[in-house]
Amino acid sequence: MISGTRGDNAVPRVVIAPPPSSARAQRRGSEKLREGLAGWLFLVPNIVLLGLFVFVPIVWAVVISFQETNGFGVGEFVGMANYERLVSDPLFWRSAANTLLFTLIVTPLSMGMGLGAAVLLNSVLPARGLFRSILILPMAISGVATALIGVLVFNENNGILGNVLRFVGLPDVNWQSGGFAAFASIVLVTLWWRVGFNMLIYLAGLQAIGPELYEAAELDGAGAWARFRNVTVPLLGPSSFFLLILNVIFSFQVFDIVFVMTGGGPQNATSVLVTYAYDTGFVTRDQGYAAAIGVVLLLVTFVFTVVRWRTSRGRDLVE
Amino acid sequence: MDVSRRNFLVGSGAISLPLLVAGCGFAPQQSPPANVGTKTLMFTTWGTDSELAGFARAIAAFEDMNAGAKIELNSVPFGQMFTNVDAQLQAGNPPDIFRVPYYAFGSYAGREQLLNLSPYLESGFSDRFTDAAWAAVQSDEAPYGVPHHTDTSAILFNKAALDSAGITSVPTTLDDAWSWEELTQVAATLRAAQPADSYPMAYNWQGNGVTRWLSLLFQADGRFLNENLKDPAIESNAGAAALEFSSSFFRNNFVPPNNNVKSATFASDTWYSQTSAMVWSGAFAIPDATNTLDFEWGATFAPRNERGGGDFGGNALVATAETAHPELAAAFLAFVTDDTQMRDFCQTASLLPTRKDLRESGITFDVRPELAPIFLGQASTVRAEDSSQVASPNMSKIITVLQDNLESAFAGSIATAETLTSIADGIAQATSSAE
Repeated sequence: MISGTRGDNAVPRVVIAPPPSSARAQRRGSEKLREGLAGWLFLVPNIVLLGLFVFVPIVWAVVISFQETNGFGVGEFVGMANYERLVSDPLFWRSAANTLLFTLIVTPLSMGMGLGAAVLLNSVLPARGLFRSILILPMAISGVATALIGVLVFNENNGILGNVLRFVGLPDVNWQSGGFAAFASIVLVTLWWRVGFNMLIYLAGLQAIGPELYEAAELDGAGAWARFRNVTVPLLGPSSFFLLILNVIFSFQVFDIVFVMTGGGPQNATSVLVTYAYDTGFVTRDQGYAAAIGVVLLLVTFVFTVVRWRTSRGRDLVE
Repeated sequence: MDVSRRNFLVGSGAISLPLLVAGCGFAPQQSPPANVGTKTLMFTTWGTDSELAGFARAIAAFEDMNAGAKIELNSVPFGQMFTNVDAQLQAGNPPDIFRVPYYAFGSYAGREQLLNLSPYLESGFSDRFTDAAWAAVQSDEAPYGVPHHTDTSAILFNKAALDSAGITSVPTTLDDAWSWEELTQVAATLRAAQPADSYPMAYNWQGNGVTRWLSLLFQADGRFLNENLKDPAIESNAGAAALEFSSSFFRNNFVPPNNNVKSATFASDTWYSQTSAMVWSGAFAIPDATNTLDFEWGATFAPRNERGGGDFGGNALVATAETAHPELAAAFLAFVTDDTQMRDFCQTASLLPTRKDLRESGITFDVRPELAPIFLGQASTVRAEDSSQVASPNMSKIITVLQDNLESAFAGSIATAETLTSIADGIAQATSSAE
């Protein structure tokens, strides 16, 4: 507040009077409140949607997992019976093993291939925009559509891949009737779908690394491999952490590609936890048991994320 | 009026949230305002274009005859049909009427989700249907639906493929249908005449179509459930014969290896692509095959063994137990099974009637009318004791048991006797579990 007063001398004095401390605090308080309110307003849609479509169903699934229910009416509380049944269910263990194997194969491969493609397409490569678009394109296609393309490619009778193999004189592969080949076909289609996404995240990470670091490393005598290993890989730590968590979660939740391409067959060779839970819940209508499978899947994913979070040194690195 | 960025964002959020929520299917769909005194029924179904057109015509005719009645036809894709209906039943807002395959009927009727039609149907109503059809909509000796139409599998063949193997004639009457041995001989002839990557036939037992394997069991005069519709009856000579016969298709390379029951490639696709010379198929495929295929094809009867037999395919129409208008719902179900409506629906959609009179007088398909007698004849081999087993309330679990075990048997992983024991154990477990 500015005020002018006239005293004995004719020189006007300008006094800057501080505002009353209570008014200042009040104003600061109201600003804070407004900011807080705005923050909450932005959060509310997310909280409502997450609560409604994620947290409530999770809690509900946990409740149902303690019941025997066919989906209609009130279920019967059976305690831990569904979880005890899991322990002695060979198909559950087969599906869990398949899920784990799928995760162990697909996660490093999709990250490795994504990183390779990102490094390649971050360099001076002719038509790299075109190549980037081609690799990212599968991301724009839904999982079911991707799987239907997979069926066309891997159809054992007259699929595109079989025709190509026959044309070059290679033997037929039993993509649909052989367990190993069917599993491989699922992995290949998943990689085709997922490598583009991994490349995109790595590409963003690579473009955030300053060229001066490479120059300094080069001056220090580091070769191309040493620069990649000691500069690129460590500085991509946050991207790798993000992709690792996401790839593992995606792999544990794989459903649409398996459901459409193999339905879990042949002879459960490609059955994974989510397809098994789906079949149990919606085909045989054993929804309590299906919920127990879902809860186990949730716990495994959660434990992995927590362990990885605690053990990762690169997760908070920012340049 | 000044609009700050914050106000704009808040306003946009407030406007878009209800739209977003409605888009997720959370908000109830707005119904058109009903006239005072109007009774509205929601009818949920899936269907081909010709089936939906048939339902629309039946609804229009019913509304004309019943002032104040309104039927809203809600068409959904088959893939979403039963997850939607189940969710609506669980949430307490199911449709009043829905369409259900016979193999899934028992899952709803046996769990008290459907309307018992006994009080609403006139005496003698059941006389209009064949015994097999009426048996397929019974639960605890009461009707919980109407058999709207049926379908059963016969054999479609590629004429050029058969000609090239020297097979120039196929059975044209039910009595002349191939025996199992004759079919095996035909398949062996085709096998010898065709290149290795072509096959004599493909069987349509993929997915829930595994119930079509039961055709072979019935042809061997076997059962999978005892007369009490609970105890397994598949461990029998008939069961062994059916399993041996069907497994021989794979052993002898009569069907492609990816023709197993859990394959993602359907038998019809194998035949369409001319990978197989013959295919087991229902009449429902006739319009699509007529429009799609550019080779000459025909149909003949499924084989017979101890007797003729076929799967009781097709769909029932049911009303839900909680419908607000049970009389109107029952009246609509009765209306769509009168002779005019059923004839119209079946002729245009290439499906088979469940009424006795239409079976006797015959119907004519709008597309390939000469094939109707083949499928009608095949349907006549279905007996009430066959179809009543498929209406078991535990059929959804039994289907899984059949899928798992038949897949292993066809892949050669389990011997016949072991498979039958495993199926019997699975059925016993399914029928003894709590309803």
